Amino acid sequence: MCDVCGCGHHHDSKSPSTSHDHPPFAKGGQGGIIGETRIIDVNESLLKSNESAAISNRAHFDEKGIFSVNIISSPGSGKTTLLEKTIEALKNDINIGVLEGDIETDLDAERIRKKGIPAVQLTTGGACHLESSLVHKGFHELEHQLNGKKLDILFIENVGNLVCPSFFNLGEHIRVVLVSVPEGPDKPLKYPKAFKTSHVFIITKSDLVPYFDFDIEKVKKDALSINPFLNIFVISAKTGEGLKEWFDFIKKQKHD
Amino acid sequence: MHEVSIAMGMIDELTRIARENNARKVITVKLKIGKMSGIVIDSLQFAFDAAKLEYPLLNSTAIFIEEVPLIYECNNCKNTFKTDDIYFPSCPGCKSYNLKILSGEELHIENLEVEV
Ligand SMILES: Nc1nc2c(ncn2[C@@H]2O[C@H](COP(=O)(O)OP(=O)(O)OP(=O)(O)O)[C@@H](O)[C@H]2O)c(=O)[nH]1
Ligand SMILES: [Mg+2]
Ligand SMILES: [Zn+2]
Ligand SMILES: [Zn+2]
Ligand SMILES: [Zn+2]
Ligand SMILES: [Zn+2]
Repeated sequence: MCDVCGCGHHHDSKSPSTSHDHPPFAKGGQGGIIGETRIIDVNESLLKSNESAAISNRAHFDEKGIFSVNIISSPGSGKTTLLEKTIEALKNDINIGVLEGDIETDLDAERIRKKGIPAVQLTTGGACHLESSLVHKGFHELEHQLNGKKLDILFIENVGNLVCPSFFNLGEHIRVVLVSVPEGPDKPLKYPKAFKTSHVFIITKSDLVPYFDFDIEKVKKDALSINPFLNIFVISAKTGEGLKEWFDFIKKQKHD
Repeated sequence: MHEVSIAMGMIDELTRIARENNARKVITVKLKIGKMSGIVIDSLQFAFDAAKLEYPLLNSTAIFIEEVPLIYECNNCKNTFKTDDIYFPSCPGCKSYNLKILSGEELHIENLEVEV
């Protein structure tokens, strides 16, 4: 079905077949060496299998003219809520699709579908982050649901976790990291990799600033010291603060 | 625990490389892991040793990990220095924070020793 990746190949890449042409090893003792030995120089990233699948994801997105956004944060920072607000505001102007990553359940995908937007739930079955091969599968499933309708923006909500997702490129055009006010102001310094690898930083639940010690200017400064290219938004889904700026930013990303 | 996923990805890669080279088994793997890579070396080692048992090519593979130190060059005075400060390193010579990282972010498979 898919010319970019030739499908079927990556979809099962996580389960290397155990059948092979060689006789079984390690029959006696510690599996003593029988043949000759040789060194193979490799010099490649440990993340290579994920990176290759990410490249094919990106090729899919580009071929279809889709702008893709990978949203990462701790559990409960407000990722799904932000998507709900974004969909409400923009669904008449742009075609949005969503991939929802969670360890279990399809509650978040259900929330998105209620807004009248196609969504596919990706359940990792234990893993605390999304990987490219799962996103690839989910993307084809989403296309199936779309039935030929074109997408402008694909949001990928990652599993709630501020560490692991930053290691796994999904082929996205931009990565967006969220920190909510109740989580505390030390997050950029404690989880620098999430900020180093993101393009956008959103401080969420700004309506709660009066109740917490959260110095917004200091947090912005810390985040920029880790990554001076971060585009920063301060929003509240409750009061609507900052949402317009975020919507405008997303509208500008639409291709064509 | 991204280390588990990284170990599984590594198993896929090692299997592919070993097959391409018609290896009967992989004896050792050398990895280079930077001090600022965000990988907990013990967790990776543990995950790999637990998972490898199911793979005939890898079930007796030993991994050797070289931890690569964090080294910066100062953009201001060109001094090169090693540090353990992964958050806010500054140049010991001129105190500048304007630094370029030279090593410490590695996450690499360097080589394998295989039996052919
Ligand atoms: N006060 C306040 N609460 C918010 C805001 N945004 C979200 N919340 C609340 O925060 C809680 C978590 O929001 P979600 O959008 O489900 O968070 P999430 O990041 O998608 O959570 P996971 O998918 O489980 O990681 C919900 O109870 C929301 O109502 C906000 O701007 N202000
Ligand atoms: Mg959610
Ligand atoms: Zn495909
Ligand atoms: Zn495919
Ligand atoms: Zn992890
Ligand atoms: Zn200096």
